[in-house]
Amino acid sequence: MSSRKFLLLCRRNTSIFSTGRRTLATVTAASPSSLSTPVHYPTPPQKPKAKPKLLTSIILNRAPIITPTPTPFERAFYTYQARLRRVLFNPFPYDFYFKQGSILEHRFNLEERKRERLAFGPQFGVADELDKEKAAANKAAVEQLAEQEGESEEMMPRTHPADEARDYKSLDRKGKRNLYLLLQENEGTWRFPQGDVKKGELLHQAAQRDLLTECGEYMDSWIVSRNPIGHYRPPRRAPSLGKPKPDEVAFFYKAHILAGQARPNPETVKDFAWLTKQEIEGRVPDHYWDGVKDMLSEH
Amino acid sequence: MPLLRPTRFGRPPPITKDLLFDTRRKLPRPPVNLRLREFAPCRLLDHYHATLSDNLMYMNYTHTPPSELKKPAREIRLRWDPSNPYSRYRKNEPVGGVQWSKMPPEPSTPENITCLEAVQIHVMAKDALTSRSNLLGVIAALRALSGETEGGAGALKSGTGVQIVRGKKQVGGWIRAGMPAGAKVTLKGPPMYDLIATLTEFVLPRLREFNGISMPVAVSGHTSYLPASSNAVKASDVSGVISFGLPPEAMAFWPQIEVNQDAYPKMYGMHIHFITNAVGIGAQERARALVSGFQIPFVRRSQ
Repeated sequence: MSSRKFLLLCRRNTSIFSTGRRTLATVTAASPSSLSTPVHYPTPPQKPKAKPKLLTSIILNRAPIITPTPTPFERAFYTYQARLRRVLFNPFPYDFYFKQGSILEHRFNLEERKRERLAFGPQFGVADELDKEKAAANKAAVEQLAEQEGESEEMMPRTHPADEARDYKSLDRKGKRNLYLLLQENEGTWRFPQGDVKKGELLHQAAQRDLLTECGEYMDSWIVSRNPIGHYRPPRRAPSLGKPKPDEVAFFYKAHILAGQARPNPETVKDFAWLTKQEIEGRVPDHYWDGVKDMLSEH
Repeated sequence: MPLLRPTRFGRPPPITKDLLFDTRRKLPRPPVNLRLREFAPCRLLDHYHATLSDNLMYMNYTHTPPSELKKPAREIRLRWDPSNPYSRYRKNEPVGGVQWSKMPPEPSTPENITCLEAVQIHVMAKDALTSRSNLLGVIAALRALSGETEGGAGALKSGTGVQIVRGKKQVGGWIRAGMPAGAKVTLKGPPMYDLIATLTEFVLPRLREFNGISMPVAVSGHTSYLPASSNAVKASDVSGVISFGLPPEAMAFWPQIEVNQDAYPKMYGMHIHFITNAVGIGAQERARALVSGFQIPFVRRSQ
């Protein structure tokens, strides 16, 4: 018998397989005659459990814009290692990099002596100039060069005016830390931007739409992944009257702000703030904090 | 103005006992096992820990249900019978190979986030085949780029330094086995991140008509010459290494070489390899996601 004939036979007469197997039709049908399967009595119809309402929430992050300040311990460690390095490394090949007698060479020598003195003490890095007039002329030339290159300009301070003014809406505050956007509802509670999921919509699409509706279109943002990074179930409240509300589950997505500023919808949102993890703890309810704290960065 | 305020140390302890003397190097031998560590904070490493690692974990996460976490080991048929005394000590790989390249990535955990292990710069100098002294310029340029010097870290070497690459086998009219044909340097840790910062801030922006590193054509798909059902695996897809080349003109854009460009006999092109810990199926994508986080641009090759 060819395989095609066998298949046709199977389609017409399924009974040849029905001896050992249960097809889909037999799963629910209770068959009192069979001894192997237990007898199913009809159970009273249970009310299907209400599906929880899905929400998407976006953790909008401003990444650090300046490097963290080293702790005193780190600073001491780095200085010690830099000294070791200075001792152990091969001498710098001056003649390969600088023309003899050039201003650049003098500048490098002056800076190198200063670094030696800092690393090893005042008896190191002492100049052994023979001609004092020439040394003074070189020094003047180097200073002039530094002025021309604008080296006397002061570096920007590591704290922004927004830090001193306690401007929580500025994206320039706390440059060393990760900042997160927190919104204040009209009722007064603080939360992350949040919205609902429409029927048939995917979670990450809903996240994109909710971010736009909550925070406005005056910013460039990037949602990091299609996977949610965490979820939170608000505590169940006993309904005062009427039928109980379904449970809610909020799925969190991480996003970065790349340009612009958030302009939240004034109808639903009273206020907004860019906050570090520690500052968020003081503003949000305790239950919310417990659900959210592990999604925020310590850096 | 330096970023770090230097910390002053007190006087070093008086030396009561003479130090051991290394007669070969004619230097005193330090009494402790000296090892050079980081001597400055590293900007890109901070960026990796503060931002990139979290993002990579979220992007590359594939959910593995707990039931699949403990997978039964693959049933392997060994090539040699281990009980046979004649073949007991032979190398006994399973029939069909170890198949690491066909394995899906391990379950995502915070410990196995994609990270950069090393960056390797490799220069082939064809003229070194005629005269090996032509390699001197390459070695000098690689030393200037990487900061690695001969016996640089004193008694204990910190890295492998600039290494000479020799031909592996005889190819008629091109190379001979054992002949020096180029040089390479492998960087790890903070010097690696410093090199990437120099590359993305000084070299790549000054390249002419450079839109980004062109991504390889997908093995299977409508752009491929292979049939759609092909499951051909290229080594570059599964090893998690991102490689690209720079033309000889680009060497002058490195600031370490720009200051005295005329000290080098000529400019060389180079290959740069970013070696990551991603391995297995999809390793190329995971590695690319990491490397583009350090602001290295990628473009799709136009057909």
